[in-house]
Amino acid sequence: MSIQIRYITKSFGNFQALKGINFDIAPGELVALLGPSGCGKTTLLRIIAGLEWPDSGQIIFHGVDATSRHVREREVGFVFQHYALFRHMTVFENIAFGLRVRPKATRPTEHEIKEKVLRLLKLVQLEWLSDRYPPQLSGGQRQRIALARALAVEPKVLLLDEPFGALDAKVRKDLRRWLRNLHDELHVTSVFVTHDQEEALEVADRIVVMNAGQVEQIGAPDEVYEHPATPFVYQFLGDVNLFHGRVDDGWAKIGEADIRLPEQEVDQSDSALFFVRPHEIEVNRSNGNGVKGIGAFVRDIRRYGAVVRLELERTDGDGFVEAVLSREEFKANTVRKGDEVILQPKRIKVFPQAAEPAPIDYVI
Amino acid sequence: MSVAVAIPQSSPGQVHSRLANREPAWVRWTLISLALVFLTGFLVLPLAVVFSQAFSKGWSVYASALVESNALAAIRLTLLVAAISVPLNLVFGLSAAWAIAKFDFSGKSLLITLIDLPFSVSPVVSGLIYVLMFGLQGWFGGWLADHDIKIIFAVPGIVMATIFVTFPFVARELIPLMQAQGTDEEEAAIVLGASGWQTFWRVTLPNIKWGLLYGVILSNARAMGEFGAVSVVSGHIRGLTNTIPLHVEILYNEYNSAAAFAVASLLALLALVTLALKSFLEWRLHASITPSK
Repeated sequence: MSIQIRYITKSFGNFQALKGINFDIAPGELVALLGPSGCGKTTLLRIIAGLEWPDSGQIIFHGVDATSRHVREREVGFVFQHYALFRHMTVFENIAFGLRVRPKATRPTEHEIKEKVLRLLKLVQLEWLSDRYPPQLSGGQRQRIALARALAVEPKVLLLDEPFGALDAKVRKDLRRWLRNLHDELHVTSVFVTHDQEEALEVADRIVVMNAGQVEQIGAPDEVYEHPATPFVYQFLGDVNLFHGRVDDGWAKIGEADIRLPEQEVDQSDSALFFVRPHEIEVNRSNGNGVKGIGAFVRDIRRYGAVVRLELERTDGDGFVEAVLSREEFKANTVRKGDEVILQPKRIKVFPQAAEPAPIDYVI
Repeated sequence: MSVAVAIPQSSPGQVHSRLANREPAWVRWTLISLALVFLTGFLVLPLAVVFSQAFSKGWSVYASALVESNALAAIRLTLLVAAISVPLNLVFGLSAAWAIAKFDFSGKSLLITLIDLPFSVSPVVSGLIYVLMFGLQGWFGGWLADHDIKIIFAVPGIVMATIFVTFPFVARELIPLMQAQGTDEEEAAIVLGASGWQTFWRVTLPNIKWGLLYGVILSNARAMGEFGAVSVVSGHIRGLTNTIPLHVEILYNEYNSAAAFAVASLLALLALVTLALKSFLEWRLHASITPSK
């Protein structure tokens, strides 16, 4: 089922949670609503579900306006952040709930219910838990039972609110992949909310990046990551170094350093923001051979899995820079703690600045 | 596609903190004996006295004090009052707690304060309120007299006073419980297609049943044992408007102490049963608060 979200606004008292959200979700798509906490992503999800009403705007399901349709009639499955399993019911009864509350005419027989619940338990690979109660389950198990319960009513749309938020890192990674596979199997239109960019990049077909009640960018994970449309998206998706400077005739002027900007659309700007990903910085020993770049001291070196992280302090005292090298690169250029080095961005993104940028309150 | 399951392990840090919290032996024993002496002197002994006085003149006097017609009338009236006021307060308490815990509306804190009012007002005053309203000289007194409706010095007044006094028990028990449980499960039920009624019976009520029962037990104990408020509105008419506590007072004032204690032993028995039920419910309640997170 396709979903069209049309100019949705929503306020809570004086706080404007959504300021005109407008985008489409294609049938069978897995879409991530990504943004920092308080950006309105959960509110939007709840409006799509019908658990919250928009102040204005429309939610259109498969070409039909569903804005005024009650949540009961929207045929959505909703997975809550804290699972919201019925604590006094067994896992079996939890999953069967949506079938049992149907009006007599459409209610399946006891035998059909049993068959269906067992099939769903198998799908989430937890057959042996059917007699347990929710408090006896681990977080990951609860999450999968909550998903099975939502799927039992055969929803046309599956909505997940921070599905992995309350789980620890290892379980989260496994469940992520599992959800992706499950979606490929079922092809039900799904929307999930997350503040974890890695999660969105790994799982979603498309990402809707939100900030302060507005959509910043919509696109495939690669597109959003490689070509961020706004400084916010650049900062929010992955670690990034931010430099202030100006652009003069295709050259970036950052502090004392001049850096040639390749194929940039910006030729001239008195004030600009430069974004450089930590793994797109070349670190060279400053051996006086005239290489132009940003001078820095190596303050700390941390080996971390397959990469080496360098913490660098700019020689002009204008803050810190983080660089990530592969182990091979690191071995090749033999920098040590305390060395003075030259930083050469391999890729740089320029956002010309009219005035002060909107403060970005999210700390990576 | 297997999913690793984290097994929580108790950390060694807990052992240390337990040791650090331990007081020296003499402190513990002083506190424990102080509590025991206090309990014996103020609670256990009086309770024992009630029963020993009740049986002081033998079993036959005890039994005859209970089956005497005025005593039976008092017992019947007490049961009737409890049978009316407890269910009413159950319904009221449940709806108030539901409204307060699950919805946001203006005037919410005022409602919470009002629910607590009967706790902070002296029972005698609560009784007087009804006399002032429905008594012969009261606001509605004339109108009631014209229509030959008796509220004060009759059963309706006793029921009203009892309802007022037992007002807060159910609501106060349920509000924190329902607030702690949140609305997630109800929302989940509704998304799954349940109607409001189904959600209440299948999700909300099972989650609060032990708390509800706890409130009802306390409310019932108070309804049967209430003296002050009922005393003001009852008029102490033997065999008609005397509840058990009022009957005890009359017998005692007539120096019929064996009979007074015999009837009082019923109330003491009620207290013991209430206590046992309460402990059991507290134990169940604890289990139902444990969140499913």
